[in-house]
Amino acid sequence: MAEQHTHAHAHHHSDKHTHISRGTYYRVFAALMVLMVLTVAAWWVEKNLIEMPGWLAVTIAMSIAIAKTVLIVLYFMHVKISSRMTQIYAAGAFVWLMILFVITMGDYIARGWPPQAGPLP
Amino acid sequence: MATITHEEAHTHTHGPELQHQFETPEQQKEAATLGMWAFLVTEIMLFGGIFMAYIAYRWAFPEAWEEAAAMLNTPLATVNTVVLLVSSLTVALAVNAAEEGKKRRLITMLVLTIVLGLTFLVIKGYEYSEKFAHCAGAKDPISWITGSDLHESHECLVPGRGFHFPDEHGSASGGHGAAKTVTMQSGHQLFFLLYFSATGLHAIHMIIGLGVMTTILVMALRDRFSPTYFTPVEIGGLYWHLIDIIWVFLFPLFYLV
Amino acid sequence: MSTLSLPQTSYIHDRSRTFAEWLKSWLLTVDHKRIAILYLLSINFFFLLGGLAATLVRVELITPQGDLMSSDVYNRAFTLHGIIMVFFFLIPAIPAVLGNFLVPLMIGARDLAFPRLNLLSWYLYMIGGVFALIASVFGGVDTGWTFYTPFSSTYSNSNVVMTITGAFIMGFSSILTGLNFIVTIHKMRAPGLTWFRLPLFIWANYATSIIQILATPVLGIALLLVVVERLWGVGIYDPALGGDPLLFQHLFWFYSHPAVYIMILPAMGVISELISTFSRKRIFGYEFIAFSSLAIAILGFLVWGHHMFVSSQSVYAGLIFSFITMLVAIPSAIKVFNWTATLYKGSISYRTPMLYALGFIGLFVIGGLTGIFLGVTAIDLHVTDTYFVVAHFHYVMVGGTIMAYLGGIHFWWPKMTGRMYNEIWGSIAALIIFVGFNMTFFPQFILGYLGMPRRYHVYPPEFQVLHVMSTAGASILAIGFIVPLIYLGISLWKGAIAGNNPWGATGLEWKTSSPPPTFNFDKTPIVTEEAYAYPPEAAERDAAAWRPGSPL
Repeated sequence: MAEQHTHAHAHHHSDKHTHISRGTYYRVFAALMVLMVLTVAAWWVEKNLIEMPGWLAVTIAMSIAIAKTVLIVLYFMHVKISSRMTQIYAAGAFVWLMILFVITMGDYIARGWPPQAGPLP
Repeated sequence: MATITHEEAHTHTHGPELQHQFETPEQQKEAATLGMWAFLVTEIMLFGGIFMAYIAYRWAFPEAWEEAAAMLNTPLATVNTVVLLVSSLTVALAVNAAEEGKKRRLITMLVLTIVLGLTFLVIKGYEYSEKFAHCAGAKDPISWITGSDLHESHECLVPGRGFHFPDEHGSASGGHGAAKTVTMQSGHQLFFLLYFSATGLHAIHMIIGLGVMTTILVMALRDRFSPTYFTPVEIGGLYWHLIDIIWVFLFPLFYLV
Repeated sequence: MSTLSLPQTSYIHDRSRTFAEWLKSWLLTVDHKRIAILYLLSINFFFLLGGLAATLVRVELITPQGDLMSSDVYNRAFTLHGIIMVFFFLIPAIPAVLGNFLVPLMIGARDLAFPRLNLLSWYLYMIGGVFALIASVFGGVDTGWTFYTPFSSTYSNSNVVMTITGAFIMGFSSILTGLNFIVTIHKMRAPGLTWFRLPLFIWANYATSIIQILATPVLGIALLLVVVERLWGVGIYDPALGGDPLLFQHLFWFYSHPAVYIMILPAMGVISELISTFSRKRIFGYEFIAFSSLAIAILGFLVWGHHMFVSSQSVYAGLIFSFITMLVAIPSAIKVFNWTATLYKGSISYRTPMLYALGFIGLFVIGGLTGIFLGVTAIDLHVTDTYFVVAHFHYVMVGGTIMAYLGGIHFWWPKMTGRMYNEIWGSIAALIIFVGFNMTFFPQFILGYLGMPRRYHVYPPEFQVLHVMSTAGASILAIGFIVPLIYLGISLWKGAIAGNNPWGATGLEWKTSSPPPTFNFDKTPIVTEEAYAYPPEAAERDAAAWRPGSPL
């Protein structure tokens, strides 16, 4: 449905500027606040109640951060109703970040670094 | 050879805001939006370098990271997160108001955004000054300024020559030099270096963002915008949201996990 | 050749009465063509400066002993050469001069999308350049253009911070140019000018712009952290404090490998234009050339580790980088094969720009193929940091970018100035450059293979013959660069009036007057045909009409 929506927009966007209603903004904001409370709560639980493995805590925090980003990008930054080109550029930035992270970390993990960790067999 | 026919002469039947190189206001608006997004891509990659360093060093020094993160002021950062998220909402509403031609609401929202942005910077500044106060030996920024109790703190979390990470929460061991050699290679300093670089760069972007918002506010006060022309509000808003997104990542990465 | 004088409404012509007014009309211009001229002058200035540093290096290398300079001064000389040539000449050369001038003209626009940003990018370029110059006047830098850590961040006691500031500011100029082109190419094309009707120069510049906006900021942050490290000694790249010097290399090459494509992609775009025009044929495999530009731009981001094979990077990573490096050869080869196929049965005229284009193809093939040698880890281990590497990248950068830059300047000179250069001198200079270039850099392949390391000014006597040959070649090359300066300068006053389309080329830039009016086109053109729409029989007709004495 979202797909059709964008298409309709692309066809006659000159006069009737498709826009996101104020109600949506408030709902998105509410969702952002909920997510923020969740991420702080997860931190508090991890610190005071139960031991969590590090990777789990990171996964939780990062998933929430990514969810927040998606909401902001799609609604606050209007990417949902933007031209296809804008969408590609917005997505491209994150893809390229991943290229940088994945390839560089690939080297670090295969290299055995820092030295005290010792090289892999 | 390409055949070239000529269009009707370019008639100037548009507002003063249409620049000469564009045919239509829509074209100008789309160009501005795409241009802003291309710029945001570069901003994301700029912070990407710092995030890359963060990932590598966090992977190398997981324990140091955990210990160091505990020294940051999470409650204040949480407040700051709320402040920024609210400011993102006010910016979104400002764009909405501009779209609908509601000048009063636009101005209210812009003023709110600027106030929230300043609040963020003040809180951030307090956090920084805490760290610097500890380096000067004071317990908190206030006693640092008044110059009292200058030997209460034995930690220094500002990277540099004076950097000293306490061994066990707060209690520094007697031998300064001995403690230093331990902390030096353990990555605590790297954590704080990245903390200061990332949040510092973010704060610089905040200041630029405040400048942008102030300019837009002045433009709004001078009635520059209309429901057909509000591009500066829109692309200024995009910039503001990007600052917000970066904080959305900085907050959990430094304060939470 | 129909007109007898230059059009009075061109972008060069102005009505300013005083000198101050005239200066203002240039320094505060937002016209993309005037900004291109500003870039042309400043970039050539930096090119001469970088060439001067190269001269010092080559003169020093005539003898095996270090008799002209101390090793420290030598380090500063080759660093100056590298920094000026890479950051202030090669990266901006074709996009900022030819791209700035031609992108709006080729797509039928009145200007770039953001003219003031365009002017700002020139000022940023100049400010960055001034920083780099000040740094070199007050002692220079000895880190090499790569600023490798921890030498640059901890140990070097030369003007690293100042130079890095210059490179950092220049990076913004590059980003702004790229951003401007992307938006312009997306949003400002004339009616009817679809993506597949665009000249290939536009495709190449688009691919370049993508690299500029994605890669440059990463260099910015990497350099910024070097400055932080130098000023406060906090350990980000210092192994003694837990940092990793290799992180800098990762970030640096994440930019600087794609930067190689910032240099060569627009050059390839120029070559596509030249080959088609002077064969009087539509380009062979248009879509393949267009998409290979994008493919090179994207693949270019995946191969940076091949600069780090011996830098203690993981061997597994090296293996993967090596494989992906091979992939880059595919789109590059596609381009070369398509140009060759375009030449086939074309009516080839050996005008100066075409000489540069043909030279480009030959030199780029050598440069590209030796790049494959270097991409193979086994060979790379042997020749890392030798003159083999030096020769390889000079074949790509000088043989590629500079040949295309000069070819492009000659090709569009009549459009930029309204006047023709001297064809005979043009051809002579092109030949001098080709010969001088090969004489300079081919011996370096052999030197490198025999084990002569780069960045040393003292070497075993048995290498002297090759070094002297190289220096002799460099002198010839220098003459080749100075001759065009002279006859192009003279042509501004004495050159024949070119007319709108002296080459009989297709493309919108040839439809407007030479030099073009301020807003490029009196009326927005409507495009109904593909680029390079030479009629199928054009080449044969040309060949039949050729008589002894008609221009080649």
